[in-house]
Amino acid sequence: MSFNSQPSIDLKTQKYDRQLRLWAASGQTALENANICLLHASATGCEILKNLILPGIGSVTVVDDKIVDERDLASNFFLEPGHVGTNKAEAVTSLLTSLNEDVAASHRSEAPHALINATPQFFDAFDVILAMDLSDEDLIKLSDFCETNSKILISVYCKGLCGMFRIQAPEHTVIESHPENAVDLRLTQPMDELAAYAASFDLDAMDQTDHGHVPFVVILLQFVEKWKKEHDGKPPKSYSERNELKAQIRAAMRTPDEENFEEALAQLWRLASSNELSSDIRKIFEHPSCDVLTPDSTPFWFAARGVREFVNNQGQGQLPLAGKLPDMKSDTKNYVELQLVYRDKARRDLQTVMEHVHRLLQEVGVSENYVPMEMIELFCKNAAFAKLLNYRSITDEYTSPNTKAIADGLAMDENMAYYLVFRAASRFYAKYKRYPVGSGSDAGGDISRFKDFVSEWLESIGLEVDMETLAKPVTNYVYFKNKEVANLGALVGGLVAQEAIKMITHQYIPINNTCVFNGIASTSSVFEL
Amino acid sequence: MQIDGIITPLDDQQIQDALEQCKVLVIGAGGLGCEILKNLALTGFKHLHVIDMDTIDISNLNRQFLFRSKDIGKSKALVAAEFVMQRVPGVTIEPYFGKIQDKDDDYYHQFQIVVCGLDSVEARRWINAKLVEMVDEEDPESWKPLVDGGTEGFKGQARVILPTMTSCYECSLDMFNQRTSYPICTIANTPRLPEHCIEWASVLEWPKVWGDVQYDTDNPEHIQWLFETASKRGSEFNITGITYALTQGVVKNIIPAIASTNAVIAAACCNETFKIATMAAPYLNNYMMYTGNDGVYTYTFEHQKKAECPVCGSASMSTTLDPSMTLTELIDWLQEKPDVQLKKPSLRTATQSLYMQAPPVLEQATRANLEKPLSSLIDSGDTITITDAALPVSLQLRVTYAQ
Repeated sequence: MSFNSQPSIDLKTQKYDRQLRLWAASGQTALENANICLLHASATGCEILKNLILPGIGSVTVVDDKIVDERDLASNFFLEPGHVGTNKAEAVTSLLTSLNEDVAASHRSEAPHALINATPQFFDAFDVILAMDLSDEDLIKLSDFCETNSKILISVYCKGLCGMFRIQAPEHTVIESHPENAVDLRLTQPMDELAAYAASFDLDAMDQTDHGHVPFVVILLQFVEKWKKEHDGKPPKSYSERNELKAQIRAAMRTPDEENFEEALAQLWRLASSNELSSDIRKIFEHPSCDVLTPDSTPFWFAARGVREFVNNQGQGQLPLAGKLPDMKSDTKNYVELQLVYRDKARRDLQTVMEHVHRLLQEVGVSENYVPMEMIELFCKNAAFAKLLNYRSITDEYTSPNTKAIADGLAMDENMAYYLVFRAASRFYAKYKRYPVGSGSDAGGDISRFKDFVSEWLESIGLEVDMETLAKPVTNYVYFKNKEVANLGALVGGLVAQEAIKMITHQYIPINNTCVFNGIASTSSVFEL
Repeated sequence: MQIDGIITPLDDQQIQDALEQCKVLVIGAGGLGCEILKNLALTGFKHLHVIDMDTIDISNLNRQFLFRSKDIGKSKALVAAEFVMQRVPGVTIEPYFGKIQDKDDDYYHQFQIVVCGLDSVEARRWINAKLVEMVDEEDPESWKPLVDGGTEGFKGQARVILPTMTSCYECSLDMFNQRTSYPICTIANTPRLPEHCIEWASVLEWPKVWGDVQYDTDNPEHIQWLFETASKRGSEFNITGITYALTQGVVKNIIPAIASTNAVIAAACCNETFKIATMAAPYLNNYMMYTGNDGVYTYTFEHQKKAECPVCGSASMSTTLDPSMTLTELIDWLQEKPDVQLKKPSLRTATQSLYMQAPPVLEQATRANLEKPLSSLIDSGDTITITDAALPVSLQLRVTYAQ
């Protein structure tokens, strides 16, 4: 015996192996085609970039006009003592670039403020813009630009032991949400082929070995059929009826340890699950973009409409079958045959959906190639868990604050108070050209000054707040002393990079739209504001 | 010192002083370890040690950012320590390329805090038990908080263990998913999944073909053989879906890993370490779970200490036995107990050895006791001390006799 010379797996695939197992080649390609812009080379910002560069993002561009100060070294891993006195963007880029030779890294020694106000066309080249510590004024301008030009914008503030970020993005669709438990066995409405397959087993006539290797799907379907014959064609509906069915199945066990029968009992709850479409897919089907297709509609909407047509016609209210069969006690032959029943139905459903999609494309006058086969297939396999997220623009939020969400949040969650404190601090800086940090004996002075400032701001946006709920967050913010803390920068850097990856790959589900991490209490919160 | 949720101002000199006086041990220099070393150094800790027994592999480079292609094959601990010391002036990091079990109590005694970024349950159990064992009520310096982190894909957890005071790692052993194992009859007779075919190739067919030669999961030729062999079996049984990547994943028990999750969990651990060292803010009590696949979700709670935990529990296990039960029968009973997992237990009381597995001279001397009834060896209400190579600490078992 000897070894065959094995086909060499390219180095990039080997390097990215551990992440390819999460988002596959399609996700990786999306990452490698994405261009990221970082505004302000803060410690947090560099950490975000590190977590995008390591997995192979297409390119990063760091924008900052600041000169490196010795104090910057304390929290930023991508600065060295030799950089003091040089441009910060250039300095961090030189160290970030060595993290991954596949990534193009460049810098721009300019103030983000200048680019946003004077030459916003600079941002045309990017897909995702990461904005650190922007003033409200600059953020709103950038938000407008990103909204108009369909860019993803993530605004981040991180100080002391807390941090927060806000995502703004164009309408975001997810086909591959990677749900944890995604099994559709159609036990309550078996397709004809499945019913026929289940009926073909004569349990009573089987020998002991065969009896113990009948898939639980067959057992459940047979017993439900028997029940229906004895109950006027109706399946077991109530909890007590299902218990009765359980007792019947248990009685049919030939030995106390028939695993397949145990599985049937354990999986009986599936008979109680409703066949209704999930609210997520219904939201997609009911969206105007699903009703009205034009040459400008994205491939997602053509695919969604194709699936909807299937559901309303051949599917008889059911989504196309995903076709996956979980493992179960069974001999190989039965399992493979049963698997084929599901796979064949899934294939036929996919074929029908494809025909719908092609017809729709034709009707609108768009080429068939516009919607790749792979996308239709993915949609059919994951339809029950597809997601549509609509993001409110930051400008919208800042000009018409969601006072109800804020008030509700404050009542239950101190992290809402930290969100408000971060927002207020930004406005404090805009007014006084410094952050509220107190100094020596006057820490108390800044605490009350900041408290009043926060109170005034909240009043101005129509919020009546008991300032006692804000006392600790206000005090703690002042005690953060405007420090960039490495641990929090790293943590928030991890969260933001993760969300950016989800947005770029359209896999897994991003937040909508604000996240706060509280490093004092070690808790996190997500708000839709 | 933080008071009631108000932190110490972060520019307070006492914070810097506390950090500089604190010696921290980092266990693991991989996905979490690289992040932990970076974070602790930047935070202001000056004296770190790091232990890791692994060398650098190409598949590490997507997240273990202290390593480059030129470092492949070198010791993770050595390369990581050198990189961080070069980048962050003022910190000293002493690396050790080897196992945590190589080090003795004196070594562990020098640290104030231990931070773990490990990838194995066994190693965590060991260090957890070691730190619990080291606690000497007369010596406050013997008490070392343990901060432990773990990740898998988009999920992870960070926890703070105060040995003998809070829930320890052993207390929560039942929380962790066991590694998927397939019954041998399925693998041999009724395969259904591609994984079954791969296990057949690695567990049954390989030894048949290669005899004593073990397969090396890092050898691409071995993986290729397993992949081709599994594929042949797959086609025999009409099972599809066997790929090289899946083969690798199954035999190496590969866990997906990305930089961002490691960044979050490592940072959470370092944040807790900072708070423990400086008391500038309240630290985690005591467990934070994190999932990032669907939104961002953390669940922070206090995991309860188990009174009967074999490692940190104060209550001894107690049981009621038949007085005519022989010592051999008691040993069989202990071996079968699933939450203890003993292999070859030795038993003694405060006054005598009942049965000792080693050394040979003691084994011979106590062998006669094996067939004696318990009632002739101990009284009802006595406590038996049980030791075993598999168990990090001794177990106390209080025996009462059934009437």
